Amino acid sequence: MTTSNVNTSSLNPSTPAPSRRGTAAGVGPGPSFLRVLNSEFIKFRTLTSTLILLACTLLVMVGFGALTGWGTGTFAEQALSDPEAAAAIAAQGGDLAITVPTSGIAFAQLILGSLGVLLMSSEFTTGMARSTFAAVPKRLPAFVAKLIVVVVASFVLTAVSSFLAGLVALPILDSYDLKLDLASSQSVKLLLVSSVYVAAVAAIGLALGSIIRNSAGGIMSLVGLFFVAPIALQIIQGDVAKEIRKYLPGNTVEPMTAVKHLPDTLEVWQAALVLGAWVVVPVILAMVLLKKRDV
Amino acid sequence: MIEAKGLTKIYGDKTAVDAVSFTVEAGRVTGFLGPNGAGKSTTMRMIMGLDRPTSGSVTVNGVPFAKHVAPLREIGSLLDAKAVHTGRTAYNHLLAMAATHSIPKKRVNEVIEMTGLSEVARKKVKGFSLGMGQRLGIAAALLGDPQTVILDEPVNGLDPEGVVWVRNLAKYLAAEGRTVFLSSHLMSEMAVTADHLIVIGRGRIIADAPIQEIINGKGQSRARVRTDQPEHLMNILAGDGVAIQVQEPELLEVTGLDPRRIARIALENRVMIYELTPLQASLEEAYMELTKDEVEYHSLITAGAPTPVQAGGN
Repeated sequence: MTTSNVNTSSLNPSTPAPSRRGTAAGVGPGPSFLRVLNSEFIKFRTLTSTLILLACTLLVMVGFGALTGWGTGTFAEQALSDPEAAAAIAAQGGDLAITVPTSGIAFAQLILGSLGVLLMSSEFTTGMARSTFAAVPKRLPAFVAKLIVVVVASFVLTAVSSFLAGLVALPILDSYDLKLDLASSQSVKLLLVSSVYVAAVAAIGLALGSIIRNSAGGIMSLVGLFFVAPIALQIIQGDVAKEIRKYLPGNTVEPMTAVKHLPDTLEVWQAALVLGAWVVVPVILAMVLLKKRDV
Repeated sequence: MIEAKGLTKIYGDKTAVDAVSFTVEAGRVTGFLGPNGAGKSTTMRMIMGLDRPTSGSVTVNGVPFAKHVAPLREIGSLLDAKAVHTGRTAYNHLLAMAATHSIPKKRVNEVIEMTGLSEVARKKVKGFSLGMGQRLGIAAALLGDPQTVILDEPVNGLDPEGVVWVRNLAKYLAAEGRTVFLSSHLMSEMAVTADHLIVIGRGRIIADAPIQEIINGKGQSRARVRTDQPEHLMNILAGDGVAIQVQEPELLEVTGLDPRRIARIALENRVMIYELTPLQASLEEAYMELTKDEVEYHSLITAGAPTPVQAGGN
């Protein structure tokens, strides 16, 4: 883009920049937390890449709802002869269709977790951080505002898209004579716990993005934690690996949503605490480092 | 007013800024001149609280930057033309920054107009030229109508018209009584923009003086003299603090005597001179002289000018 197509009338040296208050600067409101939150929300909604990731999440969640609805239907017909399938069904008290609305969260967590990483890492990779922290030199309000924006957005989006996925799956399940009650307490519990879980993953992503300050590195560590670690620990034989697996953040959802306690999983309260710790520790580390390091 | 005291930044084993102390006064344009890698940007980042000094301190209007109640209304800065998320439009970038201080949309539109960005404000920064990026950075700096303006290499990538605009803007802001601190590695730009100059080299302040004084260098005047009796003239001009160079058979360069004095001595001794030209070093020459050797430099500046001179590394 050349400068020739830009309005240059204001560049006339004889008409310099007008000033609102002359030299009485420093007067007026500063960066209160609500203002910083508003600013971070503007930043969140004005990036096309963010909006695309949100739309992808919705699409994947609803798509998986439909796909799993169909899969569950065909699966139910042969489940009686498959012990592994029977166990999965048992975890939900024999209700096959109940997990259909939230069946896409494995992918939602990956997308929204990556979004969390990007929201913070892009500040550093683009240099935006210099503008952000010049406006909010205390730094932590900007980080906390981002945290709130991404957590709330992830929670709401997961909840809404799970519900939509359920609505889409209803007629499909119905054709296989499977019943799904979206208003049942177990359905609501699954939806809420899954949404909280995805929001937690987004928070972990944000913290990783802030600590690592690099988009690829942040996303890779997130993938490592949620996808590689569980598989690696499954391959490694032995009680130690089995024990560690229970404490991975990705393995905290099942105990929290199961109708009755499953063997080799944490208790509900333990799972909640473990997931909480997986959020709190990196978030605090990110905040300490953000305050300490140069931008 | 910006005040740095013993400001030091060490990265690993490299000292980027070495115990610099200086004051940037309100009401004039202070230039911050130095070659690339001299420590200009690091110093500016420390003023803005983005980099933590290894030791020493810097305040803006008596308060460290981060302690100001409304930082954007206190100091506006252009630290890097690329301090923007390129996926966002210029307007939304400014809007998000303005939101932190409840700066109204009206002001956002005002700075867009002021910096000539009206036509591209709704486009993503990704497609901006370097000059456009600079204008957006300046727009962001002016957003809070701040008392202190810090611009790091503001004319980089600007077209000639933009260069003149930045020059006039800096002077205008200073005339309003604001503190204007701008860095450049372009000596010629400083010569026409700055009133006062702080020269930095390898992390140390080499000179801190009004621009005219730096151009004058040692404070000794130089003159080119043509005469048909060069040897005789050299003898009668010789004295303490006078250096004479023979450049051509009939051309002398005399340092340490002003032209009037040379003319008088020549007249009294009945030596004919047929050219007497006062020589003024360009800022460029003065700058080269300053930065060529830091040690030589200390004596060089302090010898001539009874002005505040900051020797680095105290």
